[in-house]
Amino acid sequence: MAQTIIDAHNVSKTFNPKTVPVHAVQNVHVHIEEGEFVALVGPSGSGKSTLLNMMGGLDEPTAGSVIIDGVEITELSENKLIDFRLHNIGFVFQSFNLIPVLTAKENVGFVLQLQHMPKAEREKRVLTLLEEVGLEDKINSKPGELSGGQQQRVAVARALASKPKIILADEPTANLDSKSAANLLDIMAKLNKEEKITFLFSTHDQRVIKKARRVITLVDGKVASDVQQIPS
Amino acid sequence: MLLKLAWLNIWRNKRRTIITATSVFFAVLLAIIFRSLTDGVYDNMIHNVVSYSSGYLQIHQKGYWDEQSIDNTFEEDNQLYEELLKNPKVTHIMPRLETFALASYSEKTKGVLVLGIDPDKEKEVNNLHEKIVAGEYIEGINDNAVVLGEGLASQLKLKVNDTLVLLGQGYHASSAAAKFRVKGLVKLGAIELNNNVVYMPLQQSQAMHGAENRLTSVSVMLDKASNLEDLKHTLLKSIDADKYEVMSWKEMMPEMDQFIEADSTGHYIIIGVLYFIISFGLFGTLLMMVFERKHELGILIAIGMKKRLLALVLLLESIMISLIGCFTGVIAGILFIKWFTIHPIHLTGDLKQVYEDYGIESIIYLSSHEKIFIVQTLIVLILSILLAFYPGYKVMKLKPVEAINS
Ligand SMILES: Nc1ncnc2c1ncn2[C@@H]1O[C@H](COP(=O)(O)OP(=O)(O)O)[C@@H](O)[C@H]1O
Ligand SMILES: [Mg+2]
Repeated sequence: MAQTIIDAHNVSKTFNPKTVPVHAVQNVHVHIEEGEFVALVGPSGSGKSTLLNMMGGLDEPTAGSVIIDGVEITELSENKLIDFRLHNIGFVFQSFNLIPVLTAKENVGFVLQLQHMPKAEREKRVLTLLEEVGLEDKINSKPGELSGGQQQRVAVARALASKPKIILADEPTANLDSKSAANLLDIMAKLNKEEKITFLFSTHDQRVIKKARRVITLVDGKVASDVQQIPS
Repeated sequence: MLLKLAWLNIWRNKRRTIITATSVFFAVLLAIIFRSLTDGVYDNMIHNVVSYSSGYLQIHQKGYWDEQSIDNTFEEDNQLYEELLKNPKVTHIMPRLETFALASYSEKTKGVLVLGIDPDKEKEVNNLHEKIVAGEYIEGINDNAVVLGEGLASQLKLKVNDTLVLLGQGYHASSAAAKFRVKGLVKLGAIELNNNVVYMPLQQSQAMHGAENRLTSVSVMLDKASNLEDLKHTLLKSIDADKYEVMSWKEMMPEMDQFIEADSTGHYIIIGVLYFIISFGLFGTLLMMVFERKHELGILIAIGMKKRLLALVLLLESIMISLIGCFTGVIAGILFIKWFTIHPIHLTGDLKQVYEDYGIESIIYLSSHEKIFIVQTLIVLILSILLAFYPGYKVMKLKPVEAINS
């Protein structure tokens, strides 16, 4: 039986509790097992980003707990949490993921440098990663010289660099044309299959949703449905 | 990696970095020119004053300074001379016998300072012979000749070739009295000296006081004013410290030292204002850098970069921008000072007259003491570190989600 990798337990988030409370996420229970490929869908404002941020330890829930790979991250101190993210969670954001002054290679290698990986080993791994996302010919390009799709692929390579258990991606295709979006999803699906990396990504793009094997739908901060599907 | 990132970051907005670094450049350059000019003027002033009076350092019989009597003299000591001249920082030494006496000419009588000097050594140091306004300079032989300060001569209403009577106290309570021929008059910048001094050859003075071979002091001239304390310490170690005392001009003329200190305070304020102004520019630039990069900083924190590392990158950026300005400023400052050392400024007109009236060379030298450059570099370095604190604090406070969404 596969292991639980994400366990969000009765998680709620209320913004501005004292003035105009916004109940962005309410009593959400989500279990995700190792190797899953999950889409988090829902209309704009339904709480997808808020939930993903809490699962990645970027934001604190008002109530409930988040356990990643057995560690209750909601209990960690700020510095421990940053370290935990460095070693266990990969992130892909909607846009401008990369450090503009560094090349693709340096952007991907940055995480490994933060982990103090020796140079030779690091260079090798960075090349493998950029090959995996199909950018072996762009290793020395700066983000400004890459298309939006290529930048997102570098971001995926960077998210993979530290061999995390999970990659959280908040609307990674929102700023891409449909061809680049499909291409990015194909790469993510391949990595999920080959490297057994768990992906959780939010989207409201129907074509992206189709590629997921499990779809969790949020409405008004609550889980409205949670279904398995055959990707197409 | 952090260094590289900081370096790349500061060039993201080339124009702003160049403007900020340029402001540091001008501040450092101005501060250096200002300090080297004022230090140069002080050094010149000190040099002029001490070359007539005490020397930079003076060696006495131990206890002489507290009780300046002819009985506290010491015997001329060739070993001491050798020891002093052996030190490369020492350029000249001037043995002296310094006493007080009553001088009279016809009806007039006045207390005077009798300086027994080595006329040749003295003129090498302070060009005393060039200050002769009437008659001639004395020579190192005992021919009963003296040279008087011009002010003293006019008070006694005496001219060249008149006969001056000196009456004083000799060695071991003997009496010292003699007649001398006034061979020349000198016009000295220092009014005190001009109105009170009688110069005579050392041996003649020793003979008059019954103090053969005895000295009150050996004055020491240095290559550089800044070597003062250093040399004092080496001398204290190398000469017989039970027998001699070594004093610097600062100890012997505390008023002049205090005057310079007080005058410097004003200069520090001007330089302080200069640095205060550039601090604003640098601070603004640093705040902009945090503000503009919030999103990116949020991403870096999200992917696992510790906030203190980010704050460190910002600190490095601050230091880099200011050091670019600082180093170019120091280099420009060095070139500037080099140029004016080779081509010193000769004062003209009224200012030249004022300087010459005080017996000070009417040339402005710039001081090229390393301390000036080191201090400016340190000030800029410290400023850039202090100014990075607030932006660093901002980074420490950053919430990743908010930062990414901005
Ligand atoms: N920092 C915040 N302060 C106040 N309200 C917020 C904040 N972030 C999100 N919200 C609100 O929470 C709700 C969920 O937002 P979000 O998680 O961004 O939804 P989604 O990602 O599904 O579009 C929205 O109503 C949004 O306006
Ligand atoms: Mg969102």
